[in-house]
Amino acid sequence: MKMYELVSTVKRDYIVDLARQGKRTDARALDQYREVSVETGLIENAQGSALVKIGNTQVLAGVKIQRGEPFPDTPSSGVLMVNAELRPIASPTFELGPPDENSIELARVVDRGIRESEAIDLDKLGITPDEEVWMVYIDLHALDYDGNLIDAASLAAVAALWNVKKPQVEGWTLDEFPVVKKPVAVTVAKIDGKLMVDPSLDEQNVMDARLTITTTEDDNICAMQKGGIGYLTVEEIKAAYELARIKAAELRKHLG
Amino acid sequence: MGKPEKLIVDGKRLDGRGPDELRPLKIEAGVLKRADGSAYVELGKNKVLAAVYGPRELHPRHLQQPDTAILRCRYNMAPFSVDERKRPGPDRRSVEISKVIREAFEPVVFTKLYPRSGIDVFIEVLQADAGTRTAGINAAAVALADAGVPMRDLVSSVAVGKVDDMIVLDLTKDEDNYGTTDMPIAMLPRKKVITLLQMDGHFTPEEFERAIELAMKGCEQIYEAQKQALKAKYSTKPEEE
Amino acid sequence: MLYAQNREIVIPGQLIAEGSHSIYGGAFKEGNQIYSSVIGLMNVHGQDIRVVPLGGRYMPRRGDAVIGIAIDSHRSGWILDLNSPYVGNLFVSDLAGRKVDLDKEDISQYLSMGDVVIAEIRDVDERMRVLLDASGPSMGKIRGGKMVEISSAKVPRVIGKKGSMTTVLQSTSGCKIKVGQNGRIMVWGDDQRMVNAVVEALLMIEREAHTSGLTDRVKQFLEKMKSEGK
Repeated sequence: MKMYELVSTVKRDYIVDLARQGKRTDARALDQYREVSVETGLIENAQGSALVKIGNTQVLAGVKIQRGEPFPDTPSSGVLMVNAELRPIASPTFELGPPDENSIELARVVDRGIRESEAIDLDKLGITPDEEVWMVYIDLHALDYDGNLIDAASLAAVAALWNVKKPQVEGWTLDEFPVVKKPVAVTVAKIDGKLMVDPSLDEQNVMDARLTITTTEDDNICAMQKGGIGYLTVEEIKAAYELARIKAAELRKHLG
Repeated sequence: MGKPEKLIVDGKRLDGRGPDELRPLKIEAGVLKRADGSAYVELGKNKVLAAVYGPRELHPRHLQQPDTAILRCRYNMAPFSVDERKRPGPDRRSVEISKVIREAFEPVVFTKLYPRSGIDVFIEVLQADAGTRTAGINAAAVALADAGVPMRDLVSSVAVGKVDDMIVLDLTKDEDNYGTTDMPIAMLPRKKVITLLQMDGHFTPEEFERAIELAMKGCEQIYEAQKQALKAKYSTKPEEE
Repeated sequence: MLYAQNREIVIPGQLIAEGSHSIYGGAFKEGNQIYSSVIGLMNVHGQDIRVVPLGGRYMPRRGDAVIGIAIDSHRSGWILDLNSPYVGNLFVSDLAGRKVDLDKEDISQYLSMGDVVIAEIRDVDERMRVLLDASGPSMGKIRGGKMVEISSAKVPRVIGKKGSMTTVLQSTSGCKIKVGQNGRIMVWGDDQRMVNAVVEALLMIEREAHTSGLTDRVKQFLEKMKSEGK
């Protein structure tokens, strides 16, 4: 699967030229997201679900809560599993087959944001120590790919978790599903030395590098991931954090 | 829930429908940006998305046919689409369904117009409640038209079955699980010929005849909704040139 | 005998006529009946019936002007992506306009991967192998400008009757445009605002291609953008 599509020199030059002037092809500001929408609860068969659109990119997240075996070293804690499907429906560049490095990276980055921020109080999800605990499966399904899957998938995952309320599953005893934080991922792309948030597909295909920073409500960082074939200076990383901090707060408003 | 004592009470089914009623149906064309054509279908609680890419270059090259396009179809269920989470990836059921859906469209697509190319149909089930392959076919037909792929006709699909000895249209999951017979069919609305037919269960020859008749009536209703969805997307503004 | 009206939107499998008509575009005959094969606009002209497809991918035709992107190369030329199920073959002699001695010259000096080329389709065979020629006037490698991709089905509307729409686009905006039949359009201009305005106008044409009064609306839009910029 190609995450980078061949971009014509005309398009590349156009994007880089605009970036030099601090502009983007769709007239957005460098620190502006495309239109964001979050719709929850559309999949009744799932305990929680959310459809996130960022521009034309669409990701559907479903949360399934089922009984399962705990990890040996945490016998009374629930288990979080995040999986991502980048299927050909969403892009001509996605191929059928087992998850490739892009779907795996996507799943693991979203997982990290939720796990490291302790957004779910997994300790409350034990049933019988060493035998049975509640498994929380988050499945991310890309429906339409126009750049920046990471932010859309992260937002969808967290929105789906907060959509859960009290799961209608047999044997559930808690009052509520123990989700306690709202980690938000913000991806910043670097093109010709300029940093811009929420790269579109064209921008992603042209960028030098990207940095995804996931922060919680207290502005602390719980996950980071650099991607792309270029490099970032320390100043750029610090500047990216500032952008991420501010934009995360804006995106968080969509989570209600 | 365990098996209910009766699936039909006073001529009404568990969800209040009569034997020849479809579940609520919603069809929308052109819902995705990247795909060449797309459609979204809700049939009862089923939520199905179909996307078409093509005609496009076929890779790997050794699959290319010199004088025709290859039609490919992939039916897939999202892990959260069913009660018990489904592990991602194709299972034997999905592979079989992909094949029969492709064969439902082979007679209508003008593949000879596009030598050496491929036409790919992707069906994603986002929520399942029996009849997903029929909903998938209805979505795929609209998606193919939306993509501008030339066809002799649309394809309309519905399932019929036998529940408490009654022939009924468009089964729910409970009716499929607790009834005796399930028969999905796909029809070309113009010539009223069948391009998909599967059946498991028990029919006398008379029951089969009644079932096929009921199914074809159901397909006609589906066809009306498919036409509406396509016309709605391309409806012109009031002034005409 | 007609079963659909002129300018009606028809769908695949719809019965549109019966009897001895000549058919064009997305229409086919079965026995005495004529049906549409695509979503399209019904067009009746005397005994001729044409269904103009409202979508569908570009199919290369001899004589078409196209805008391609170099995606591969070989010893004597390049493969160009045409936004079509079929790629175009461009031999170096058809770009340079003369015979090239492959032993003496390195062809990579002419085109790199990703370069954009204006070309004409010289030939298409029955297996849809496409031969391109880029040696004519105002053809060849493009530099600068903005590329827009629209549905190739809408290109006739961008050109208009006898080029009327293209004339409006260029003269009102002050920009230069080059239209490829494969749906790719290049826009050049000194005023970035007007270049963006032309892009907007092209997307408007794509959306509203089958409506009337479009040329006037495009002209009004561009004039408004031009006066706002002053």
